[in-house]
Amino acid sequence: MPSYKLTYFNVRGRAELIRLLFATGGIPYEDVRIGRDKWPELKPKTPMGQIPILEVDGQVYCQSMAIARFVAREAGLLGESSSDQARADMLLDGGAEVGELLKEVVLEKDASKRAEKKKEFSEKSLPHFLTLYEGFANDSGHFVGESLTWADISFFNMMDFLTAEFPSALEGYDKLNKIIENVKSNPGIAKWLKERPVTDH
Amino acid sequence: EKMPAYKVYYFNARGRAEPTRLLLAAAGVPFEDVRFEVEKWPEYKPKMPMGQAPVLEVDGTMICQSAAMARFVARETGRAGKTNLELAKADMIVDGVADLMNAMANYHYYEPDEARKAEKKKTFFETTLPQFLGHFEKLLVANNGGDGFFAGDGLTHAETFFLCLYESISKENPNVLNAFPKLTALVERIRTYPGIKEWLAKRPQTEF
Repeated sequence: MPSYKLTYFNVRGRAELIRLLFATGGIPYEDVRIGRDKWPELKPKTPMGQIPILEVDGQVYCQSMAIARFVAREAGLLGESSSDQARADMLLDGGAEVGELLKEVVLEKDASKRAEKKKEFSEKSLPHFLTLYEGFANDSGHFVGESLTWADISFFNMMDFLTAEFPSALEGYDKLNKIIENVKSNPGIAKWLKERPVTDH
Repeated sequence: EKMPAYKVYYFNARGRAEPTRLLLAAAGVPFEDVRFEVEKWPEYKPKMPMGQAPVLEVDGTMICQSAAMARFVARETGRAGKTNLELAKADMIVDGVADLMNAMANYHYYEPDEARKAEKKKTFFETTLPQFLGHFEKLLVANNGGDGFFAGDGLTHAETFFLCLYESISKENPNVLNAFPKLTALVERIRTYPGIKEWLAKRPQTEF
């Protein structure tokens, strides 16, 4: 088996999906978390001056989604057919867009602007997204086919961040709640959720 | 075996649809190139999976999100790398390119203040872009010396995304790749690639 080494800061951030996928697949990896003070010396050694990076037998890969897709495939979580895989890709990308909007809310330093952005997000973007995705979910609580894929896990991860700001966001979305349950009850993920370092984001 | 019927839906522009169109052209796969005027968009929007364009329709199934579309076509036409690691290499370039294209869209479309817009554009072209082009040059060289492609030994969606980025940035600055010889040669390699060469000559000429 190849050796995997993931490097990121000691937060969930852009690495957590990758960590969740390794956990689901039961794939051992080195979960390296560096302090911010160590970042300047690492930065020039990374392919695009960013982390997370994944080293696979010494070869370095960057871009969190590219890495996540790689791990998802190794863990058999990509989706079966080519069109299943495309469906998973598109759902992930759509989720990432909303994730970026959420970030804009959370990172707004001006208190009144932040309140305004938060209101707009919770009244427009968020319900629009959740309604859309409730429509994409099937009755068994999966986004793609009838089994767990990285589309489900990615959604769970995003909701993990989202419910920190909007705790009751998922109320009433039966199929989406089923997806969350399916993900949480996966043994590898359940174990990781118990063991992972607790960080504020 | 019957070839699937492909349709690409987008505005009359290269924009976020072009990486997929280029891959279809490279594979010699016929497709219906649906382009709608902005006024017609409200008619199409409700039919799109996430109310956005571009969308790729394959035998009735609709796939949105430009990278998902391109990766699907790349996979179907044998241009997504031969191994999972090669795909990761291609994907990481695509994601880096997409970050840059989003940064451009940010100042171009979403910055209402003219002074801030000019400032962001300046930062993009003087700092951000050269930094990333440097990374891409290095990554290209790391793949068998840089005289081929970004991943493995063939064209992938990484190249079609990169060409689209190049077409946008070179409009602003025709010398943008002067410091990057391998990227410069790659652009020519992509432009003269069979199928792509013909498409570039016959496609609608649009500003974006």
